[in-house]
Amino acid sequence: MSFVLEFQNVVRAHRENEPVVDDVSFTVGQGEVVGLLGRNGAGKTTLIRLAIGLLHPQGGSVRAFGLAPTDRPVEVKKRIGYVAEDQVLPATATVKELIVFHRFLFPEWDMGLERQLKDRFSMPSQARINTLSKGQARQVALLCAVCHRPELLLLDEPAGGLDPAARREFLETAIQLLNREGSAILFSSHQMSDVERIGARVVLIERGKVCLNRDLARIREDFCVAMVPRSALRDGAVLERAPGCLRVRSSFDSWHAVFEKPPEEVSAELSALLGVDGVHCVRMPLEDLFVEMVGGQR
Amino acid sequence: MQLYVNPSDEVPIFRQIVRQITEGIAGRRLAPGEKLPSHRELAEELVIAPMTVKRAYDELEMLGFIETQRGCGTFVCAAPPKPDRSSQRDETRAEARMLLSRAYLGGLRFSDVVKLLKEADREVTEGRAEKEES
Repeated sequence: MSFVLEFQNVVRAHRENEPVVDDVSFTVGQGEVVGLLGRNGAGKTTLIRLAIGLLHPQGGSVRAFGLAPTDRPVEVKKRIGYVAEDQVLPATATVKELIVFHRFLFPEWDMGLERQLKDRFSMPSQARINTLSKGQARQVALLCAVCHRPELLLLDEPAGGLDPAARREFLETAIQLLNREGSAILFSSHQMSDVERIGARVVLIERGKVCLNRDLARIREDFCVAMVPRSALRDGAVLERAPGCLRVRSSFDSWHAVFEKPPEEVSAELSALLGVDGVHCVRMPLEDLFVEMVGGQR
Repeated sequence: MQLYVNPSDEVPIFRQIVRQITEGIAGRRLAPGEKLPSHRELAEELVIAPMTVKRAYDELEMLGFIETQRGCGTFVCAAPPKPDRSSQRDETRAEARMLLSRAYLGGLRFSDVVKLLKEADREVTEGRAEKEES
């Protein structure tokens, strides 16, 4: 598979010795949809800004279509669409003016797609940006990001602050684009149901490092959380050493341990290891798994 | 035939599609030779990644339930694979025992199991019966 985006041992700190992105490596293949997850401040936005060349990596390398985004800004930006988390659009411009401006920026601009999206979103062309609702402003930002038919779409919290209907519409548009052009999408989101719906793979970032990079179907079938009462086990480190264990955290009166193994296997192994009957192991939806992987101790 | 996906279900989306199409073929709601929606159409309809549809179709093709004709689309196989009848009987007999054992351990009676089997039959042959009732 050829990669449209490649992070290799990327390091970036905003202040000295406090890396926000710390030795991150992962790739996005052609036509792939990858969900970038992590708590607030984990480094997601920084990664996206590195991908489009708004930031220089201080270590490692970032490659988009095999090019360094900071060395070849024009070539890379032509092939990327980007919607920032709090996209700042010129407040007093009208929707039409903004779109015309983008048409000039991108020679490959697709008028047909522009018309289609305007109709679909019933976009008020004459309205000024500062009179739009949050949902409408996002739609304008999306239109400006996709009408040059990018090969890679970077969406930073695309659903932030949108109601469920607007979110669905946003996703539908992204999928249509993906279908038509085979574009890849890297999107950060806290909406786990969106990630589960359109994502094929998730990359989970914790404190600037990749702590999980897996196929979603695999997470569904081959991951589980074991719950062991503290009364049966004093020291959670025993679980950490068990094969396949990714993380242990304490929760009230039990240990919660994430395993990369089906629950039946883990239950049998832990029962034997700890000498207790029927250790409770369950598969978890992404949202709960997220909490188990990066949530705090209780 | 209408497909549904539930992204927060324990079963991955591609398997949900595989299961529903398999049930559709088994229950004759999808006729042999019938054309299935393209990857693109189904991805747009269900709002899921095209790759997920591809994965489901690849699996169904591997199982021998559907076939892709280059440039024409994807179709339900004219003759879905038939396992050897006597071995199918043995397998189903073993599964029936397991099913009953678990049901009895869970406190269900034979009549409850029969009722559930009939329900399952309706779901397979007529489509999501439980959905329509609610």
